[in-house]
Amino acid sequence: MTFEEIHETYWPKVYRQCIGYINDPDAAKDLAQETFIKVWQQLPKFRNESSIGTWIFRIAVNTCLGQIRKDKKMPKSELPMGMAEEVSIDKEPEVQFLYQCISELPEIERIIISLELENLKQKEIAKIVGLSESNVRVKIHRIKGKLTKKFQHHDR
Amino acid sequence: MTDNIDFKKYWNKKKIETPAPKEIIKKANEYKRKTRFKLIAANLVLLATCMFISFIWFYYQPEFLTTKLGIVLCIVAMLVYLAFHNTLAPLLINHSLELDSKAQLKQLITLKRKQRFQQTTLLNGYFILLSLGLGLYMYEYVIRMTLPWAIFSYGIVLFWIAINAFYFRPKIIKKQQTKLNQLIAQLKDLNEQLTS
Repeated sequence: MTFEEIHETYWPKVYRQCIGYINDPDAAKDLAQETFIKVWQQLPKFRNESSIGTWIFRIAVNTCLGQIRKDKKMPKSELPMGMAEEVSIDKEPEVQFLYQCISELPEIERIIISLELENLKQKEIAKIVGLSESNVRVKIHRIKGKLTKKFQHHDR
Repeated sequence: MTDNIDFKKYWNKKKIETPAPKEIIKKANEYKRKTRFKLIAANLVLLATCMFISFIWFYYQPEFLTTKLGIVLCIVAMLVYLAFHNTLAPLLINHSLELDSKAQLKQLITLKRKQRFQQTTLLNGYFILLSLGLGLYMYEYVIRMTLPWAIFSYGIVLFWIAINAFYFRPKIIKKQQTKLNQLIAQLKDLNEQLTS
């Protein structure tokens, strides 16, 4: 697979991973970009020990976790007029709400649920985060419960 | 609302624009160039200084042992610092990306600790050795001066060392320390999340 092909296939997946982690489009783009810079640099060294997908997700996850946690972001009211509204808003409010809920979880849970929603096998998720498969299964179940509660509460 | 919400459906509906891969390749190259340049520049500056100091030794043939000792101390200080810097820098740049999160966090914590050691203990040692070396080195030349000039020369050097030691050094260390401590605390917290 060439870098261009990898980029084409994995950019959306990696970007979703990052925005699930940080819920800020600009910061997520930076994180995704950083991930692909590392992928580009390390690609010649990639040995087919794991699948390319697992490998890329590992880099993405490690990039997210290695970020220095930002303190509270600039309040929107302090932004110049109009800028606050410009952030691309998804047509469906549920989409926006899901990403917001995920970003409110503890970091590791954000990572795990994002990988799960990206349709990765639990075995792969376990390999990426370094937990046992059963542990991952329990965590996913718990996180989904949390999200369901938030959605139900939101609907009322 | 039911208990069975299809989160995957919403997850996949996120609007995403894929940028051109060229943009990333360009950035990657820039980054590589910059980090390599920084490493080479640090090496060149310190090695050139070492060579210059050695040149003084061979060209002017100092008579006193203090002068030679001073030169050796300065060179040792710079080489030790450089050696540590050179082994640490590549590790910080290309720390293994293929580890799982748990292993990677552990590795990152160790690396950051090493970096903290470099910025505190090692830098302190570097300053002490360099100041001591400089002081010893000057002795041979200062002793030939008249007393006021001797006091003036040592005064200036001491003043310069003091500014570095008590103003610039703590300032730089404090700045980096805060950042590193914050990162280490955060990594530890993440690690706890993984083990809980």
